[in-house]
Amino acid sequence: MHPADEQILKVNGLSKSFFGVKALDNIHFDLKRGEVHALMGENGAGKSTFMKILIGLLKADAGSISFNSEQIENMDVHSIMKKGISMIHQEILMVPELSVAQNIFLGREIKRAYLLDEQAINQQAENLLQSMGLNIKVQTKAKHLSIAELQLVEIAKAVSNNARVIIMDEPSSALSEKEVEILFNTIKDLKSKGVAIIYISHKMEEIFQIADRITVLRDGKFIATKPAAELDKSNLISLMVGRELEELFYANSITQPEVILKVKNLNKKGKFSDINFDVHAGEVLGIAGLMGAGRTEIAKAIYGLDSFDSGEIMLKGKKLEIRSPKEAIREGIGYVSEDRKALGFIPELSVKQNISLSSILNYSKSWFIDENKEEKASSKIAKQLNIKASGLNQKVMNLSGGNQQKVVIARVLMASPSLIILDEPTRGIDIGAKHEIYKLIRKLTESGLAVIMISSELPEILGMSNRILVLSKGKQKTILTQKEASQEKIMQYALH
Amino acid sequence: MKYTHLILIGLLLFITGCNQSESNKNNAPDKIVIGISMLSMQNEFIVNISDEMQKKAEELGAELIIVDAERSPLKQIEQVESFIAQKVDVIILNPCEYEASSPAVTKALAANIPIVNVNSATKVQPTAFVGSNDVESGRIAMKFIAEKLGSKGNIVMIQGLNGQAAQIQREQGAKEIMAEFPGLNMFAQQTAEWDRAKSMDLMQNWIQSYGTKINAVFAHNDEMGLGAVKALQDAGMKDKVIVVSIDAITDALQAVKKGDLDATVFQDARKQGAGAIETAVKIARGQKFDREVLIPFKLLVKEDVDSYLK
Amino acid sequence: MHYIKNLRQYGIFIVFSIICLIISFISPQFLTVSNWTIIITQVSINALLAFGVTFVIITGGIDLSLGSIVAVAGVSAAMLAHPDSYPVLVPVFAGLLAGLLIGAFNGFIITKSKIAPFIVTLGTMTIGRGLALILSNGRPVSNLSEPFVFIGSGKIMNIPVLIVILVLMFILCSIILNKTILGRYIYAVGGNEQAARASGINVTQVKMAVYSISGLLAGLAGILLTSRITTGQPNAGAGFELDAIAAVVIGGTSTTGGKGTIAGTLIGVLLIGVINNSLDLLNVTSYYQQVVMGIIIIGAVVLDSLNQKSNS
Repeated sequence: MHPADEQILKVNGLSKSFFGVKALDNIHFDLKRGEVHALMGENGAGKSTFMKILIGLLKADAGSISFNSEQIENMDVHSIMKKGISMIHQEILMVPELSVAQNIFLGREIKRAYLLDEQAINQQAENLLQSMGLNIKVQTKAKHLSIAELQLVEIAKAVSNNARVIIMDEPSSALSEKEVEILFNTIKDLKSKGVAIIYISHKMEEIFQIADRITVLRDGKFIATKPAAELDKSNLISLMVGRELEELFYANSITQPEVILKVKNLNKKGKFSDINFDVHAGEVLGIAGLMGAGRTEIAKAIYGLDSFDSGEIMLKGKKLEIRSPKEAIREGIGYVSEDRKALGFIPELSVKQNISLSSILNYSKSWFIDENKEEKASSKIAKQLNIKASGLNQKVMNLSGGNQQKVVIARVLMASPSLIILDEPTRGIDIGAKHEIYKLIRKLTESGLAVIMISSELPEILGMSNRILVLSKGKQKTILTQKEASQEKIMQYALH
Repeated sequence: MKYTHLILIGLLLFITGCNQSESNKNNAPDKIVIGISMLSMQNEFIVNISDEMQKKAEELGAELIIVDAERSPLKQIEQVESFIAQKVDVIILNPCEYEASSPAVTKALAANIPIVNVNSATKVQPTAFVGSNDVESGRIAMKFIAEKLGSKGNIVMIQGLNGQAAQIQREQGAKEIMAEFPGLNMFAQQTAEWDRAKSMDLMQNWIQSYGTKINAVFAHNDEMGLGAVKALQDAGMKDKVIVVSIDAITDALQAVKKGDLDATVFQDARKQGAGAIETAVKIARGQKFDREVLIPFKLLVKEDVDSYLK
Repeated sequence: MHYIKNLRQYGIFIVFSIICLIISFISPQFLTVSNWTIIITQVSINALLAFGVTFVIITGGIDLSLGSIVAVAGVSAAMLAHPDSYPVLVPVFAGLLAGLLIGAFNGFIITKSKIAPFIVTLGTMTIGRGLALILSNGRPVSNLSEPFVFIGSGKIMNIPVLIVILVLMFILCSIILNKTILGRYIYAVGGNEQAARASGINVTQVKMAVYSISGLLAGLAGILLTSRITTGQPNAGAGFELDAIAAVVIGGTSTTGGKGTIAGTLIGVLLIGVINNSLDLLNVTSYYQQVVMGIIIIGAVVLDSLNQKSNS
């Protein structure tokens, strides 16, 4: 039996509007059994609206969805999940205080005579994880797992739910190389069992590695569905953005001799040790390393978000004693966190209010905010950064990921720093916005700003950095110049 | 988990053990020990009773253990249980509620410890009762209103917390008298929960509704009476409306003296407190005692109050 | 303009208007100047408490000690307000200071110990009640001076002083929340505390400020209550915190923090006041009053949330 060509899901003429604005316009889509189908498009292209309709979180205005030749467009989330469509969300939804096994069986616990049968739950969960090649203890509480592990458990949960279609939204954005491998193996395994996968990602390399077919959306419209083999990177990008994009080469070649930041023998027990580096004016210092190598921890220590045990941090030759972000900002250090939601912006505040948050003292008279001044300054920088919002008073929670990131960067820049630390600045944002951020970094360094950029994406770090510091398990392995550096070399040091 | 339980049980045993040893000390034959559970030490009237008890106890050479039930019948029962464990000679109970505080009486009697109720009653008969009959206070207040109004007019009644013995009995007394005077008309009745501010709000709202048609106000306690007076004064209507309330707290006596409040019904906290201790001591010494000591109410008008304002 | 935009409580405002309209048909006395004067006077004390706790709730906290602060401040003020003792400013200052100190104490313990505000303020609620009883010996403090009593029952240009204070505090609190740096920081801390800290905000200071403001306003409320009923009572204000919190929630402030307005809270306070007033006007038995009140509170919030869903 080889049902590979059998159609499992068919979407016809799907449309959806919000406040009269078309978010989806006449979308066509189909999915075959055992297929990995990539869904591509810039942020705001309509991917998440489409997926929300598919799993029953939103109702379409028009169009039909048939699943196993049954109409499902009017069903609610629970019925659709029962039919066999599951989604792995970007934000993991697990109960932190419950064990892995309990989370997997949440809502459909195994019972024996009205009581929970913990043993059976653990046993079945273990079988499940083993069959997927996952080495996770089922009795561990979810809060002790890494994001990657959580994601894999989510997938396991969907599998155990007899899902026939699994939607994965940016599943690899928080995964290390090795974990991505596990993920891909899992996907291949699922394929062979006839499970169809809708795969949403911004990472081109992955798409070409894993996808059978690719569907591209742009501005809520269906653009094309093509076999992955018929596409290459550049024509996929041009389908997505409707224009050709230049390659990644943004590093500013003229760095200035002035040392902005000097870090000497920085130590924090269990996190990092003996960290030494300089950052010059106009330079991008890349920091590479696997997850857990201590990259973010060093950034937080410099910014005063975390403490450190010993060592010295000097800014423009002055020794700093920073105990809080407030003091770091005052000294001229800015930080854009990898965790935009937790440490980046205030969702309920407007674009303007977020942008001015770190520098509000500059836009006020004694205790009062000078709203004209605030408005002028934030509208200027919002234009410079090309922040797309319905207005400066729109709440940031309603913006796309890329625009939220730009708002955070704008906030940091408004405090006129002499050094900024960008921690995974392009995580989870679309290609168009990525390139805008690269260009922005280039412009900032040209004006003399010193930049530390932490990134897991090697092409990005290679294309952007003047020098690259590589960390492994909390230790500084080397600092490579742009000429010396290559993907292979970085990985060698990082895996050391 | 198992260990926590063991530790808890151990602790409990230890505490009860301590109580035991303490009670031996209390059991010295010469001094009478009286355990007293009061309704609420946040209420001025009750505090007055308790103060008077202490004075009387000093005079008679009795030792008092006074605890506050904070209006909780459950707490009150626990307190009486602890008195029983301490083997006090007599218990005085100032009941929180008519029914719910009854088990406290039953338990004391079962442990052969005499129990005296002060100020208000319980369903179960105690060894003795010292207090006043609240129905009587309602009758006195309403009779005064009937006299002042010439047996006809419109009355509003501000009630205590619904369901409490004092509220039920004061309402009952007032209604008994109203039944005798068909010319008296009850316009509206509503609770202000014994509270001055709430009573003031209520009165203001009634003034909006009924305006000058209101001839008299009967409030179940002085706090509420004074709230009503304030509202009437603010509306410039006080001289046209009669206000009577119960308890004769200091503020009310002052108001009666000034002529703001027309009358208050005096419930004698001192006599109740002193009477309770006297009865308790008599019982402990095996002397003859009255099973029911009723302290009479007294209506106080302007001319009477001076001697009470000390 | 953005004031009106910020009025997330459009929904609740409509509910409020409808309820007023219905009552005015049933009770002819309802829509009169004198009745509204009374309603606003009656809600003024709850309004001050609700304004204060709005600040706290926007930061994602809660303050259960309000009622006890009312008692402590009221008793402290009354003890210094006897005729021929001190000028009227002394008891007023004492009451405000008592409120401020307890509020600051709340803020201090909450920020230093990281214990949940619910627990800390539950503790201060009990401590405060005890303090009020200790200060007053368990007895009401009466015999207050004329100028002190004037605060609660006097009139300025035929407007009750209570209403004047209410309006002033409404304006002041609205300005603090909308126009000052502190106000911006309060929303930021409530919206995302970690991000606020990472943005350079001193979260500890902000929290100290909101609990102090809440305590200060509760102190003021205590003074007003004492002056209004011409006695400082140690058991006054019990349960006031719940009325205040109810008003804040009805007014559209989210208990998870980050959003809310003083104007919304005022509507919530007025709604509760109007219901109390009209049920008395219509002489509805008090048993039913409580049921009706509960239904309206839940109904108002449900309607509001439906209204919001349809907006988003």
